[in-house]
Amino acid sequence: MPRVSLRYYAFFRERAGRQAETLETGAQTPAELYRELAARHGFALPQNQLKVAVNAAFADWNRALADGDEIVFIPPVAGG
Amino acid sequence: MRAFEFALDPIDPARLAAPLGSAAAGGFAAFEGRVRDVNDGRAVTGLDYEAFEELALAEGERIVGEAMRRHGALQARCVHRLGRLAVGDVAVWVGVAAVHRGEAFAACREIIDEIKHRVPIWKKEHYAAGDSGWVNCEHCAMPAREPAAADAPFDYSRQTALPEIGAAGQERLARASVVVIGAGGLGCAVLAGLAGAGVGTIGIVDHDVVDATNLHRQPLYAMVDVGRPKAEAAAERLSAYNPSIRLQPRVLRLDAATADSAIAGFDVVVDCSDNFSTKFLVNDAAMRANVPAVLASVYQYEGQLQVVRPDAGGSCLRCQWPDATRDGLTGNCRQSGVLGPVPAVLGSLQAMEVLKLLLDLPGQLRDELLLIDLLDHGQRRVGAPRDPACAGSCRRIAVPQRSAAAEDLDVEMSLAAAAREGFRIIDIREPYECADQPLPVTGQLALPLGQLLEGELTLEPGLRYLLVCAHGVRSRAAAEILRARGRGNVWSLRGGLAARGD
Repeated sequence: MPRVSLRYYAFFRERAGRQAETLETGAQTPAELYRELAARHGFALPQNQLKVAVNAAFADWNRALADGDEIVFIPPVAGG
Repeated sequence: MRAFEFALDPIDPARLAAPLGSAAAGGFAAFEGRVRDVNDGRAVTGLDYEAFEELALAEGERIVGEAMRRHGALQARCVHRLGRLAVGDVAVWVGVAAVHRGEAFAACREIIDEIKHRVPIWKKEHYAAGDSGWVNCEHCAMPAREPAAADAPFDYSRQTALPEIGAAGQERLARASVVVIGAGGLGCAVLAGLAGAGVGTIGIVDHDVVDATNLHRQPLYAMVDVGRPKAEAAAERLSAYNPSIRLQPRVLRLDAATADSAIAGFDVVVDCSDNFSTKFLVNDAAMRANVPAVLASVYQYEGQLQVVRPDAGGSCLRCQWPDATRDGLTGNCRQSGVLGPVPAVLGSLQAMEVLKLLLDLPGQLRDELLLIDLLDHGQRRVGAPRDPACAGSCRRIAVPQRSAAAEDLDVEMSLAAAAREGFRIIDIREPYECADQPLPVTGQLALPLGQLLEGELTLEPGLRYLLVCAHGVRSRAAAEILRARGRGNVWSLRGGLAARGD
């Protein structure tokens, strides 16, 4: 099972009640990981409205997760 | 100076603009985004900005670089605030120097638009009422719509609203069963169309597995289905799409031994195969089972559609293509290439013809070939009549071409067969009708009904005459009258021209 770390921003940080966490997951992809964490933390944002970054780069939701990956779920942005 | 930066302290536009520009820069454009006191109808007292900094810096630099290259700007930079801001504060600043004002305005506009869209920066609004919310998040956090309950009925209201369909038509579809041979590009479109329409039972026959090269034109399958049997993957997808219908997948290669059982019990057969051998198998099996078959094929940017109606005495595939072993003459998708929408269009037309058949809608293709060119949008309906000499299975079900017995008034045969049998054919229609639709044979006499009955033609006792009109009504009446006058050598072509495939 890959061991990954998560950083939370904005809406997700407040929902999760933390800025970061590290966990072992049975999820094979960021999409599966999001489903797992959405259930645990009550993230109600549908995945199709989000982006995901793996190791500080935008990534495909269905790429494989590897040990040590750092994942950030990116809610709809509102810069400016 | 970096092209994109964050600032924790108030932005000073004059200081940011100072290093931009040179003697060559005839234009300088800047944009300031400021905190407003109202958003979405609510009074705002301040904002908190937060960013995923590593990714935001990389993405911001990329945006500024792209805009400079695209518009030919000389220099550009963007600075975005983070932390707590008050109403009126500058939240973001963009400056662009270019040779002319046009490039400067355009690049500046693109940078701010893209920053707002792509860079992971979020803002939390604090409202005068005392609460706060993350912009773009709080609203979309509510699921847009409750998913339908698992046992909710599939909603056909938009099609039952059609006056020709209604609840009765929907019920007909629910009772109907259609089998689709081949779940490729044509098959995906046919299956989606029939499943969405609520055809109650859908058979899917395909021996193949999903290949990565299929996906561009076969949207029932996803990347994860590669390697799975198509029939199973399609059935799974379609039962999720419309749980109220019955799917019957069969991983089966259609051949002479399996064709009859594959289509047994279905009301309509749809051929979505990609080779002539299978199309003939489908054609022949449909002929034997006396059920309609809707056939289509595609070649590069073109397609053909044909509806075979053994149940209505129509022509068959072998009437047009007597030689069944034509595989390899025209090439398939692998060899010739195909653009996804081409089988999608033809497959949708097949689904349409199936629904027209099941619902008894007008305009059904019959004894004709629809030819479509999707490059120039040319579309033709070409007559594809039954060939009296067809060596195929349609001859078995064809009306026996027996000679006219003396006691019969009507005869039923093709005009070509009548000519071969030595009938003198008399076209008793009016001249304008003959001009509109000439008889498909030569050597006939054209003599309108009135003139015939006035005795303008001397009927020779040694010959046999066949009278032909549009629907067989006038010719039958004329034959009756002539028989009553003692002419035993006159017959009427039953059903007239309208009943003839040729």
